[in-house]
Amino acid sequence: MRLLRWTTLTLATIAVTGCATMTVSSHIQNGIDLGRYRTYDWGPADALPTGDPRLDKDAFFQDQMQGAVERQMAAKGFARAEDDHPDLLIHYHANVTQRIDIAAADRERGYCYDDECQTGVIEYEGGTLVLDLVDVATNKVIWRGWAQQSVERVLNNKDRMRQDINEAVRRMFERLPQPL
Amino acid sequence: MYPFRQIRPFAATMALAAAVAFTGCAATNVNSYLARQADITRYHTFALAAPGRFETGDPRLDNNPFFQDRAQAAIEKELAGRGFAKVPAGSAALIVHYYLSVKQQVTGNHAEAQYGSENQYGSCAGCTPRYVSDADTLVIDLVDARTEQLVWRGWVEGNAQGAIDDQRVMEQRIDKAIARILTKLPRLS
Repeated sequence: MRLLRWTTLTLATIAVTGCATMTVSSHIQNGIDLGRYRTYDWGPADALPTGDPRLDKDAFFQDQMQGAVERQMAAKGFARAEDDHPDLLIHYHANVTQRIDIAAADRERGYCYDDECQTGVIEYEGGTLVLDLVDVATNKVIWRGWAQQSVERVLNNKDRMRQDINEAVRRMFERLPQPL
Repeated sequence: MYPFRQIRPFAATMALAAAVAFTGCAATNVNSYLARQADITRYHTFALAAPGRFETGDPRLDNNPFFQDRAQAAIEKELAGRGFAKVPAGSAALIVHYYLSVKQQVTGNHAEAQYGSENQYGSCAGCTPRYVSDADTLVIDLVDARTEQLVWRGWVEGNAQGAIDDQRVMEQRIDKAIARILTKLPRLS
């Protein structure tokens, strides 16, 4: 009986926090030689709204984001350009939209919450952070990384925001091949 | 806290199998229409519309050059295969536009409902599980370059779940979707 309670509690926890998992991925230009690029600078600030007024023009978010990206760029061997001729420009965009999820754990295991056996629908604020590296010479995006997760408990918590930005950027850059 | 009840293994297995069938193969619906009194065989040349903002509803794909380059290459290949020649925009008879829309969709599982969903207390209509997926619609428009009237529109509705996060899968899906849309276009003899 105790085992059943623990199992039930675990499943319920997975159901509630399942959509908080961070998903990270990227696209890259086929055949790109990243060794061609040595320096970078920041592109013009994102003109698109984030979809959430708490995040629009949030100086804390922008500082954390730029700091996290600059650390990862340095770790990959890229240097901030000291003149007006960087090889790469960096753009980023944050987006928050209302999203829904179905309690996947229940669905897959065949568990029900109530007599009607309805699967639980969860509404949450889904955040997407998109980071582009643009070849200055061609003005084309050569790499795009992104991270997605629920930002329900992030936007009002600066410590959590800093941690999540660092994790998102670190995991995005893990997907960027090391320049040769 | 509501008590959990466990569905019988058979029903759970059927639900899981149906879920895999639904989200695993990216089911698609392809359709098209030809403008009234339009004769597509009058047109022999095409050019892609000048690039503009490419907004999809999904920030991963908004202004995504990897998606756009692949889609454009696939469109050019398929149209060439159907007898249309690519020419500079100023001399093209048709201008090709394409659009992508991605949005979340909640879907009941019809296959599972068909087989019935039985729990340990008997059948339960509410047991039909629901799934959330990223539904996408890719549209290709062929526009008369001279009159700027839509001549032909083709589209495919599918499921982008899992495809956007895997570039290779996304590219395969783009090629397949565009090929399927343009099979609806009459072939020039």
